[in-house]
Amino acid sequence: MFTKSHPLQSKSEIILRNIVVIGMILFFGIFLIIPIVIAFAGSFHEWNPLSGTYRFLGIDNYKEVIMSPLFWTSLWNTVIFSVVVIIFRVGLGLAIAYAIHSALVNFKSFFRSVFYMPVVTPMVAVAFVWKFMYNPQIGTINQLLGLDVNWLMNPKTALAAVIIMTIWKDFGYAVVMFMAGLFSLPADALEAAKVDGANAWQNFRYITFPLLKPMTLFVTITSIISYIQAYVQILIMTEGGPGTATYLSSYIIYDEAFVKYNFGYASALSFVLFVITAGFTWLSFRVSGTEE
Amino acid sequence: MRRKVYTITLNVILLLLGIITVYPFVWMLFSSFKVNKEIMALEQHLLPQVFTVENYINMNARFNFMRFFANSLLVTIVITLAVIYTSTICGFVLSKYKFKGRELLFGFVLSTMMIPWCVTIIPKYSMIQKFGWLDSYKALIIPAMFSGFGIFNMKQHIATLPDEILEAARIDGANEFFIFHRIIFPMAKNGISSIAIFQFLWAWEDYLWPYLIISTKEKQLLAVGLKMFSGQYSTDYGALFAATAISIIPVLLIYIIFQKQFIAGVASAAVKG
Repeated sequence: MFTKSHPLQSKSEIILRNIVVIGMILFFGIFLIIPIVIAFAGSFHEWNPLSGTYRFLGIDNYKEVIMSPLFWTSLWNTVIFSVVVIIFRVGLGLAIAYAIHSALVNFKSFFRSVFYMPVVTPMVAVAFVWKFMYNPQIGTINQLLGLDVNWLMNPKTALAAVIIMTIWKDFGYAVVMFMAGLFSLPADALEAAKVDGANAWQNFRYITFPLLKPMTLFVTITSIISYIQAYVQILIMTEGGPGTATYLSSYIIYDEAFVKYNFGYASALSFVLFVITAGFTWLSFRVSGTEE
Repeated sequence: MRRKVYTITLNVILLLLGIITVYPFVWMLFSSFKVNKEIMALEQHLLPQVFTVENYINMNARFNFMRFFANSLLVTIVITLAVIYTSTICGFVLSKYKFKGRELLFGFVLSTMMIPWCVTIIPKYSMIQKFGWLDSYKALIIPAMFSGFGIFNMKQHIATLPDEILEAARIDGANEFFIFHRIIFPMAKNGISSIAIFQFLWAWEDYLWPYLIISTKEKQLLAVGLKMFSGQYSTDYGALFAATAISIIPVLLIYIIFQKQFIAGVASAAVKG
């Protein structure tokens, strides 16, 4: 009667499924698809809600983006910011997770919780605290290290200062992800390597790290997506300055859209940024795929 | 012997890193109990020389900070509960039901996670304006009720629950609504914990959306409040430290409450990842 080839679909299953599917389509349709379409159309217009302007421009906004030196500066800053933060996040995360996971460390859950603490702290709050810590006179960083650096006001150090703070805030996420990855590794592979006389480094290089590759890719891609969108730390700590030293691309969008109300130009910028995000995501898939 | 040296070295390194990680929190907490003169003094001490709770009183008296705190708590809790529910039910349908277009729908949900906030925020703002929802919590809550991240996580998580449980319940005559609410939902608590932690944090720290939507000061949320604070009372650092310290408490509490299940949830989602 109840054969596998004819899965029995009850009436309640069909109702529940329809409610959920329709709900999802409605929600994402209204709050995602329609806005994307409006933004895409808007990116070809001069669009200012304050003056009520909505005038067709063709591809002028995109031309302006490409011609804008500030855009290229911000893109360069964004690339440096993202690449450095991601290298440290993945590197530190992997190293610390591997250390905590090893039999040598006691208090595993204590360390895990400590490193995760900044991750679960609001960025606005954290950015304020670090802004104070970077203060050249009374800030704790100069006081502790005996330095005299005006971290956030010097074009040479400002981006580095924001990067350091972001690494501090985010590496704990990678620690927890890699610990989860290590936890789920097949024990027999590691046992076999041990029997074969592999040392700790060989063990890591040839067994553990390759097995963790999917997790590394996952952390890298989610990081790319979130760092290309980062702007809160800039808004609080530097507002893009000094000069243009810490302008990140999403901060320009924030600035153009909600300070200057150039909605059309900001939309064009957003789509350029979206294409770049997609490009980098694709690239990291390729890099990890071709390595094998 | 060598093993012992390794053990000590590794633990010491981790402890040092741990101290660096926690130091900003400790510094902020101690600073919030200092008088402003001491915060601004050239000679700094970690511990307050004169202990005061005045900052905590000022932050509220001058700035009504606890009002922002309460507003944020309300909005964040509602959003988090809504996202937990929608993510779990969507994850259930996407992982346990077979129907045409399921893979397409799931692929679509995955791709929503790649759309940067900046692409949709301008039209969303215009739409909210047309709906007449400006300056209301509807505008903060309703557009946040589904989450691609949440649905993705719950789908991965619920897929690991055995089908036999569903079959058994169906043979006993349970309908699907009962199965979801009474069987799947309680069993999915590890996945739910990780959604709770992340969604609570994201809603709690969200700055731009409430900044754009809410114009009445009494309705404003905490992240915007903190920023306003620093602009208006630029000299009252002590009160800002106090407000910052207070703003971290709820997210840390949520993390402490859910962390055990959260870690298990990450592990199970990661295997499938």
